[in-house]
Amino acid sequence: MKFEKLKQILDEAAKDAGIVDYEIYYQSGSSLSADALKDEINSFTSSTEGGICFRCVVDGKQGYASSELLTADALRELPKIALSNAKVSSSEDEMFLFAGSPSYAKVENVQAAFPEASALCQSVLELQKSLYAESEAVGDGTQSGIAYFEDEVYLCNSKGLNLSNRVCGGFRYADVVVRKGEEAENSLAFAYEQDEDACKELAQKTVDAACARFGALTVASGKYPVVIDGKVFCDFLSAFSPIFSAKNAQKGLSRLAGKEGESIASPLVTIVDDPMREGSPIKTPFDGEGVATARREVVKDGVLTMLLYDLSTAKKAGVASTGNGQKASYAAPVLIAPYQFSIQPKNKSREELLALAKDGIFVTGCKGFHAGADAVTGDFSIESYGFKIRDGKQAEPIKSFTISGNVFELFKEIGAVGNTMFWGMPSGFTAFGSPDIFLPSVSVAGE
Amino acid sequence: MIAKSFAERLLGIALSGGADFAELFCEVTKNNVVSAIGNKVERANDTLVSGIGIRAFKGTRTVYSSSSDLSPEGMIACAKAVAEAMGEKTNAPSVVLTERVFPNAHPTLFVPTDTEAKRRADLLLTGCNAALDYNPAIRQVTGSLLGVDHTVLVANTEGLFATDRKIRTRIAVSALAANESDSQSGYSGPGSGCGLEFFEKVSPESVGKEAARQAMVNLGATYCPAGRMTVAIENGFGGVIFHEACGHSLEAAAVAIGASQMAGKLGQRIANPKVTAVDDGTIPNAWGSINMDDEGTPSQRNVLIENGVLKSYLVDRLGSRRMGLPMTGSGRRQSYRFEATSRMTNTFIENGPDKNEDIIASIENGLYCKHMGGGSVNPLTGAFNFAVSEGYLVKNGKIEGAVRGATLIGTGSEILQNIDMVGNNLACAEGMCGAASGSIPTNVGQPLIRVSMITVGGR
Repeated sequence: MKFEKLKQILDEAAKDAGIVDYEIYYQSGSSLSADALKDEINSFTSSTEGGICFRCVVDGKQGYASSELLTADALRELPKIALSNAKVSSSEDEMFLFAGSPSYAKVENVQAAFPEASALCQSVLELQKSLYAESEAVGDGTQSGIAYFEDEVYLCNSKGLNLSNRVCGGFRYADVVVRKGEEAENSLAFAYEQDEDACKELAQKTVDAACARFGALTVASGKYPVVIDGKVFCDFLSAFSPIFSAKNAQKGLSRLAGKEGESIASPLVTIVDDPMREGSPIKTPFDGEGVATARREVVKDGVLTMLLYDLSTAKKAGVASTGNGQKASYAAPVLIAPYQFSIQPKNKSREELLALAKDGIFVTGCKGFHAGADAVTGDFSIESYGFKIRDGKQAEPIKSFTISGNVFELFKEIGAVGNTMFWGMPSGFTAFGSPDIFLPSVSVAGE
Repeated sequence: MIAKSFAERLLGIALSGGADFAELFCEVTKNNVVSAIGNKVERANDTLVSGIGIRAFKGTRTVYSSSSDLSPEGMIACAKAVAEAMGEKTNAPSVVLTERVFPNAHPTLFVPTDTEAKRRADLLLTGCNAALDYNPAIRQVTGSLLGVDHTVLVANTEGLFATDRKIRTRIAVSALAANESDSQSGYSGPGSGCGLEFFEKVSPESVGKEAARQAMVNLGATYCPAGRMTVAIENGFGGVIFHEACGHSLEAAAVAIGASQMAGKLGQRIANPKVTAVDDGTIPNAWGSINMDDEGTPSQRNVLIENGVLKSYLVDRLGSRRMGLPMTGSGRRQSYRFEATSRMTNTFIENGPDKNEDIIASIENGLYCKHMGGGSVNPLTGAFNFAVSEGYLVKNGKIEGAVRGATLIGTGSEILQNIDMVGNNLACAEGMCGAASGSIPTNVGQPLIRVSMITVGGR
């Protein structure tokens, strides 16, 4: 069913339910992917999906109902369910709908070019072959794949808002297993299809990263100067990004509450949220409430310049929404989240950062943020691996240690920032970026 | 959801690309979530997920196509996409299905998605208020109450045509305790494979109080020291140690392609003889239970490790083809968007020979982990981590002051050998497990155990 037809059914059902203020959010998308195991195509997948969300605002309270079943009968139920959900809300935060921003950024509408199945499989087999060609250590368990996606969003409401956006792109991944004697190591990396250089380097970098782990030793517990790989620090930013949410601040769930204008980090730290970042396939001109997004300097030279707002938290604070009221999917509620959120690079090369650490640890992998990081308190204790730094240079690999601390202290202790950006895998409309980060003293637990 | 005759037609189309097996999975899932901040309902959200996933095998090569379009044309297009990707052209073979009815081991009284939002909101606020009232230092509380009604249909070219319905209810409360200089959090999130009658067994008040109690303990705690030490891990969610350290490495998805530390070890002693571990999806109304898996295989009790010896892997249909082992009812997925793969259900270490008090008394200088948070693992190397959400130092056999911010790390093969005492108070707890086929409900469990030596991350 076309969106206009879906909207017409919902408009009528909303009227029948006596709902005046409502919003309709429709998302449809498709994907195509293939992956290889050994020297064969292992699986080939395709998907098409679409879902619709009806959100009503009654007496300042909101209620949601959404469905993937898009029959007329299923659609007619949604306003009734949303209304009953609005009636149980007792939040004191006033919800309201938005008529639209004066203007929205233009997204270059790149036509999705899903390849033919045979061409996709051929590309995947070439990628897989290139992994095995990098080293004789590459063996069973090594997988690689390429995936393409396309996603379209329509957002309209009873205030006259009528917006749409389309994103599409592709990425490839390599999940490499290498063996040497009894030892097995692995490494996973990805690159956007549009980034030709990154795609070319993917095989070599992933295999090299896995092989570099052979012979990893444990490290003694203690305090060490640490350099954190930008790829890893992206995960730190991701785990702790909720501290920048105005909702969390207003509800006492972020220690950044009331800190706007204050120093919260080293003067070397500038953090930017850029929904239209060049090079990202996911450009987002409006948020889940229809507010225009914009590039924001959230932290400037260590000073917190703003939090991230949606309509309701902005009204409460007496400021304008920053356009960060996101819907992670058609079914998700509006929640404050960043877009392309990154620490800005400075002037230090990786070699210079390692030289600063002199005798320390270079952290190249971290795992378990979902359990080991608490965005409310800022505490973290994270499983890590990496390399020793000896005489300012990367030395032998090390394994099985944790790094621990508190992120609010960590931000202040950042001693130097690298000059090369790394971006993590996007999730929904959000991705995190960071250069390498030097910290003069971090608690490490090992032997 | 789909008439048997139409399923036969779809499977015939899916086979026509030259596959030797085809399967369809169709679902209609109602979810509702009420969430609260403080003593106010923040929002209520109802979601209906529906769609079809069709898969074909040729040997171990798979093609999978999914669609949210459940119109006849949409489903036929989905089946054709599978046949086209398989690449050959044959006449659609005829497929004959026979309906099978698996007994429902998980009776439900009140389907949560069919109850008024007001009733669910009141239950949630009762839990949140209990946390807020626990102590003046409890500064904020967040909570959610989830109801799921998941109906699935699985049909395949071996003739299977079966449906299953899974009902789940869960409440979760997080509490934040703060003083002038510090803040710490606590969490409790029990659930069950049943309806709202769950709250007759577990009161929302108890959930709120537990989250607040934990936050208060952590507020008064010092930082956990770092290093290698002896650790006692309590029952319930403590079982996450086995889930991460061993469970994932026993999944056919990793074992069959040689990407698991446990590959090739069937029949070998991989753990201390005191360790017997089980994955059992048949436990009535347990959070991770299923009547049949998402490939239509009846759920069963799988003894994974018996007295330290590896007895079984967790095998889905594709894993069975790759490994030549029987399926174990372990093919699971979050939704029709995902191909099923080998996953856990309710996974736990059985009661052992040791007395709980002897376990604590045996520790000269170590850590007692009363509650665990989540964790993760690299199945190839077995390197795992998990967070301690409530911990205490143990000195000379006695539990002393609370410590916070601890993480346990190690490798599965090492830790299984180091579990050298196993107590007798087996209990399970609920969690969500994320992997290739999405996020699914799983139980973890164990009695109190002692790990003779493990790396504790702290400060």
